[in-house]
Amino acid sequence: MTDASAPRAISPFRRFWSRFFEDRIAVAALIVVIVFAALAFLAPWIAPQDPYDLAGLSLRDARRPPGYVGSGGYVHWLGTDAQGRDLLSAILYGLRVSIQIGIAAGAVALTIGTTVGIVAAYARGFTESVLMRVVDLQLSFPPILLALVLVAVLGQGKMQLVVALVTAQYAYFARTAYGAASAERAKDYVEAAAATPLSGARIVFRHLLPNAMPALIVVATVQIAYAIALEATLSFLGLGLPVTEPSLGMLISNGVKYMMSGRTWISVYPGIALIILIVAINLVGDHVRDILNPRLEK
Amino acid sequence: MKPFSWAIALGGLLVATAAGAQTLTVGVRGGPESMDPHFSALGPQADAVKHIYDTLVGTGVDLQLEPSLATSWEPIDDVTWEFKLREGVKFHDGSDFTAEDVKFSIERIPNVTGPTTMEIYIRRIADVEIVDDYTLRITTDGPAATLPFDFVRLFIVSSAAAADFSDIESATEGFNSGEAAIGTGPFKYVSWEPKGELVLERFDDHWRGAAPWESVVRREISDDSSRLAALKAGDVDLINYVSSADYLALERDNDINTFLGDSVYVMNLQLDQRDETPKVYAKDGSPLGENPFQKKAVREALDLAIDRETMVDIVLEGLGTPARQLMPEGFFGSSDEIEAKPYDPDRAMELLAEAGYPDGFAMDLYCTNDRLPGDGAICEGLGQMFAQIGIDTNVNAISRSVYFPAQARKEYSAFMNGWGTLTGEASYTLGSLAHSPNEEVRMGAFNRIEYENPEVDRLMQAGSKELDADKRRAFYEEAMKLTVEDRAYLPIVVLQTVWAANADAVGDVATRADEETLAFYIQPAS
Amino acid sequence: MTGFLIQRLLQAIVIMAVMSVIVFAGVYAIGNPLEVLLPPEAPQDIRDAVIKRFGLDRPLWEQYGLYIYNLFQGDLGRSYIYNEPVLQLIFGRLPATIELVLTSVIGALVIGVPLGIWAGYRPNAFSSRAIMAVSILGFSVPTFWIGLILILTFAVNLGWLPSGGRGDTVEVLGVAWSVFTLDGWSHLILPATNLALFKLAIMIRLARAGTREVMLSDTVKFARAAGISEGTIIRRHVLKLISIPIATVFGLELGSTLAFAVVTETIFAWPGVGKLIIDSIQNLDRPVMMAYLILTAGLFVTINLVVDLVYALLDPRLRRRAAP
Repeated sequence: MTDASAPRAISPFRRFWSRFFEDRIAVAALIVVIVFAALAFLAPWIAPQDPYDLAGLSLRDARRPPGYVGSGGYVHWLGTDAQGRDLLSAILYGLRVSIQIGIAAGAVALTIGTTVGIVAAYARGFTESVLMRVVDLQLSFPPILLALVLVAVLGQGKMQLVVALVTAQYAYFARTAYGAASAERAKDYVEAAAATPLSGARIVFRHLLPNAMPALIVVATVQIAYAIALEATLSFLGLGLPVTEPSLGMLISNGVKYMMSGRTWISVYPGIALIILIVAINLVGDHVRDILNPRLEK
Repeated sequence: MKPFSWAIALGGLLVATAAGAQTLTVGVRGGPESMDPHFSALGPQADAVKHIYDTLVGTGVDLQLEPSLATSWEPIDDVTWEFKLREGVKFHDGSDFTAEDVKFSIERIPNVTGPTTMEIYIRRIADVEIVDDYTLRITTDGPAATLPFDFVRLFIVSSAAAADFSDIESATEGFNSGEAAIGTGPFKYVSWEPKGELVLERFDDHWRGAAPWESVVRREISDDSSRLAALKAGDVDLINYVSSADYLALERDNDINTFLGDSVYVMNLQLDQRDETPKVYAKDGSPLGENPFQKKAVREALDLAIDRETMVDIVLEGLGTPARQLMPEGFFGSSDEIEAKPYDPDRAMELLAEAGYPDGFAMDLYCTNDRLPGDGAICEGLGQMFAQIGIDTNVNAISRSVYFPAQARKEYSAFMNGWGTLTGEASYTLGSLAHSPNEEVRMGAFNRIEYENPEVDRLMQAGSKELDADKRRAFYEEAMKLTVEDRAYLPIVVLQTVWAANADAVGDVATRADEETLAFYIQPAS
Repeated sequence: MTGFLIQRLLQAIVIMAVMSVIVFAGVYAIGNPLEVLLPPEAPQDIRDAVIKRFGLDRPLWEQYGLYIYNLFQGDLGRSYIYNEPVLQLIFGRLPATIELVLTSVIGALVIGVPLGIWAGYRPNAFSSRAIMAVSILGFSVPTFWIGLILILTFAVNLGWLPSGGRGDTVEVLGVAWSVFTLDGWSHLILPATNLALFKLAIMIRLARAGTREVMLSDTVKFARAAGISEGTIIRRHVLKLISIPIATVFGLELGSTLAFAVVTETIFAWPGVGKLIIDSIQNLDRPVMMAYLILTAGLFVTINLVVDLVYALLDPRLRRRAAP
C-alpha cells in the first residue's frame, strides 16, 4: 500500500490528463458529454422553436411523425409531441433541465454527504452517533413522499425537485464516505496520527478523504445518473416538474402512453438522448475513478 | 335422426355448455374499497358491488331511472314517497327480499359509511315506514323531488345476514369475509382482497334471469398501458377506460373490439369570483389590484379563446364532444337552447382590450393530472389557447391529492377539474356548483369560486321542492342557461369512455354513461 | 455487544418517532385528507360531520397525541380507503413485495458479483467491456421505461410471459408465495428483472472496482509470486475485500428496493405494498402512510444494524471497536 500523498515529479493535474487521454472510449465519452452540455447551453440559439413559449405552439401540429413540416413552416426532424412541440427543440431544452438538475442535485448531495460521513468517521462518539442516525433517518424516507410533501408545500419547480433529490441522495454519499473513512480511521497509522499534534484537517484531507474518494466517485457517477432517472420516475408518477417546461424525463413519461399505439418517437428520441447522456457521464466517471484511485497505480 | 343433424345438435349443445361455463376476466382501472356496499360512494366501488347487490332504483344505459328492487314509486304528499317493492326476489342465501331489508339498509348507512360518505344519498330521509312486506313509505325533511335519483346508489343488503355486521368496526370484516356479503344481485361473492382480484360466481336464481357468465374475475390494473397490454396478451378478456392514446390504433385491430360510450363527465374551467383572487397578476408579476374574472368581458374572452373542436380532435384524439353546458346534452335539466360555443380569438382579444387589458395579464392555471382521462393534457392545451390571446398562463397540472385540498381552501383563481353528473339530472350538478354556497339550504358545497346569481339560486331552490317533473325540468333548464350565460364556469369537453374486448371472448358491451362495466350486460362472443 | 444492540434499539425508536412527526406534519401541510375522499356534492354539514367523525377537525398536536396514544395500545388505525386495520392491509401485501424484492436483489447479487469480478479480473477483455456496457445501460434507463419495454416485448409481441399480476401461489408457513410454482415464476420473472437491472449494474460496478484494486495490490503480487493459484487468490483475497462495500450497498439497496418497488409494482400490477403506498399517498390515506413509513423506518434501521454487524465480521479491524 503506497501513500497517496507521496510527492511526485510532475503536477498531479497534468498526470491526470495524460492518463485520461490514454483511453479512447473515455475521451469519446467526454466529447459526447461536452457536446451535450454545449447543446444544452446553446439551446435557445440553436433550437428551431422555443418549446416553453406556449403562444408559439399549435395543437394542430401534435404527435406528427419525424419529417413532418408543421405550421411553423420548418421540418420537425424528430417529430412533435402531444402538445405540438418540436421534439428536437424539446429535447435540447430538456437536456438543459436534466443536466442542471442532475449536476445541482449530485454536487450538493456529494458535498453534504461526504462532509457528514467523514466528520462522523473522524469525530466518533456522540457526533458520529447523531450524524449517522440522521443519515439513517434520511434513508428511511422514501423520496416520493418527500417530493409530494415538497410539491404541496412549495409548489412544483426545479428548486423543489433538487431539494427532494438531495435529501433523498446525500445519505448514500454519507454512508459510503463513512464506511470507507471509518475503516481507514481504525487503522493504526491514522490512530497514531490522531494521537500526535497533527491537525484534524490534515488527517481528514490526507488520509480519510483520499481513501473515501474512489468509492465516492463510483457513487457520484451512479447518483448523477440516478438523479436524472429519479426525476423521470417522479414525473412518471405525476410528481415531477411543471409540464410546460419538460425535462428529458418528463418528455419520456409524456410519450410512454403513445408507445402501445406505435407512436414511439415521442418517447424514444428523448429516451435515446437521456441514455446517451447518462452512459457518457458514467464512462467518463469510470475512467476518472480508475485514474484517481491510488490503489490502482501500476 | 340423421347423423348430420346429430352433429348439429351436439355442436349446439357443446356451444351452449361452453358459453354457460365461461369465465369473464375484466381488467379494471379501479377496484372496490370494501365488500360492504354502504362503505363508499366512489364510482369503482359502485361498479363492483353492483354485481352482488341490487339498488332500490335502477338506471339504464343513459342513466334514465328504471325499476329494480322497487317496481314503482310516487309522491303521496309533499314530504312522503311511496315505493312498491318487487315480489319473489331471493337473496343469495335463499331468503326472501322484503321491505325490512330496505329499511335496514337505509338505517345502517350512517353507522358504517366511510369518508366517501354514502350519507349524501339518504340525507333527505326523515323516516322510513314499513306498510307491508312490499310497500314502503319514506318521509323526507321537506319536499324532496329528486329522492328516487338518490336511490340509484342505495344498495340493499340482507337484514338477516348483515345484522351483526353493522357498525364501523365489524362491518368490513363481516362483508370482506363473505359472511355478510349477501345480496340479490346477479353474482355471488367468492373472494376479494384490496387492490387484488374480485372473484364472483353466477347466482342462478337472480330475478332478472341468469347472467351470461358462469363466473367473473375483476382484476385491478390501474396503469392504462399495463391494462391494455394485459388485454393484448390475452390475460384479460375486457378492459375499461381505454386511453385516448390507444383508441384509434385499437379500432384498426381485428382481434379486438372497441365500444365507445358517452360519459357523465364534463371538464369545467372555473373562474374565481371573489373580490380578491390569489393567482392572477400583471405580466410583470405585480398585483393587478382587482379580480379580472369579475368582469364578464374577461370571462367571455377566455370562453372565446377555447378551441373546443381542437381539444376533442387533437388532445382527446376524438374521445369526447365539445361541451356546451355543465352536463351532457339530454340529461334531465339540460337545455336544448344553448348554442355550441364559438371559437374566436380575435374577438377575445378585443374583449380583453375593452375590459382594460389590451396587453393581457398573467395567471396560474391549476388542474388535476391523475383523475380523469386527458385532464392534464386539456389543461396544457388551455394554456396554449390563452397564451394566444395574450394571457400568460402558467400551467400546473398536479396530483388530485394536492389539488383538492388546496381547491377547498380556495387557493386557486383559475382551475379545471371534471364533474360527473352521476345521477343524470341537474340538481346534482347545479345544486353543488351553481347555487351560491349556502349551508342552510345545503347547496353550493362545491361552488369553490363563490359564484352567485340570485336568480339561479331561486330557480334551484324552487326546483328542489317541485314534485312535478315537467315544471322542475323547466326550472333547471332556466338555471342551466343562466349559469352558462354568466361564464363563471366554462364547460370545455364532455368525455367519452371506451371499453375494449378480445373479439373471440366478448360479443357486446353495454356502454353505460355511468361507466360501469356490469358483467350481466356483457354478452359472450357467439 | 448487548449494549450496542440496546443503543441501536433506542435509536430506532427515536427515528420512528421523528418519522411519525414528519409524516403527520407533512400530510397536515398538504391539507385535509378527506377533501380528496369526500363526495364533491356533499353539502357542508355532511362534510363537517365526516371530518369530525375522523377527528380531523382537531388541532394537529391533538390528532398526533391521539395517534400516539392509540399506537401504544397497539392500534395503528384503519385505512380511510379500505376501513381495514392498516397492519392487516400492509402485512397482507408484504409477502408479495418481499418476494419480488428478494428475488431481484439476490438475483442481482448472484449474477452481478461474478460478472463484476470477471470484469475486474480481466479489465481489457472484450467480454469485460461488454459486461460494463450492460451495467452502464442498466442504470441509465429509467425503470418504468424498461418495464414497459419488457411488457411490450415479452408479453405483447412474443406472448411468452404474462403481462402482470402474481399468478398461482402456494401456502408455505401460512403465507402465500409464488416462487414455489411454475406459474408464479412466469409472473415473477419480468417484474423481478425490471427491478433487478439497476441493482445488477451497481453490483457489477462495485465488484469490478474492488477486484481491480485487489488484483493490483502487493498482497496479490506476492501471492502470485508464491505460486498460489488464481482461483485461491480470488476466493481468499478478492471476495473477502470486495465484500465490505457490497455488504453496505446490498443492505442499502434491499431497503431502498422495498421502498421503491412502487414503479415496478404499478406497471406490472404486482399486488405488493409499493402499489399500496403510492395509492395511499395519492389518496392521502394517512393511517396507511403512517404505518408504512414507521415500519419502513424500523426496517431500515434493522438493515443498517445488520450491515454494521456484517462490517464488523468482515473487517476484523472494526471488531475491536464494536466489542470493547
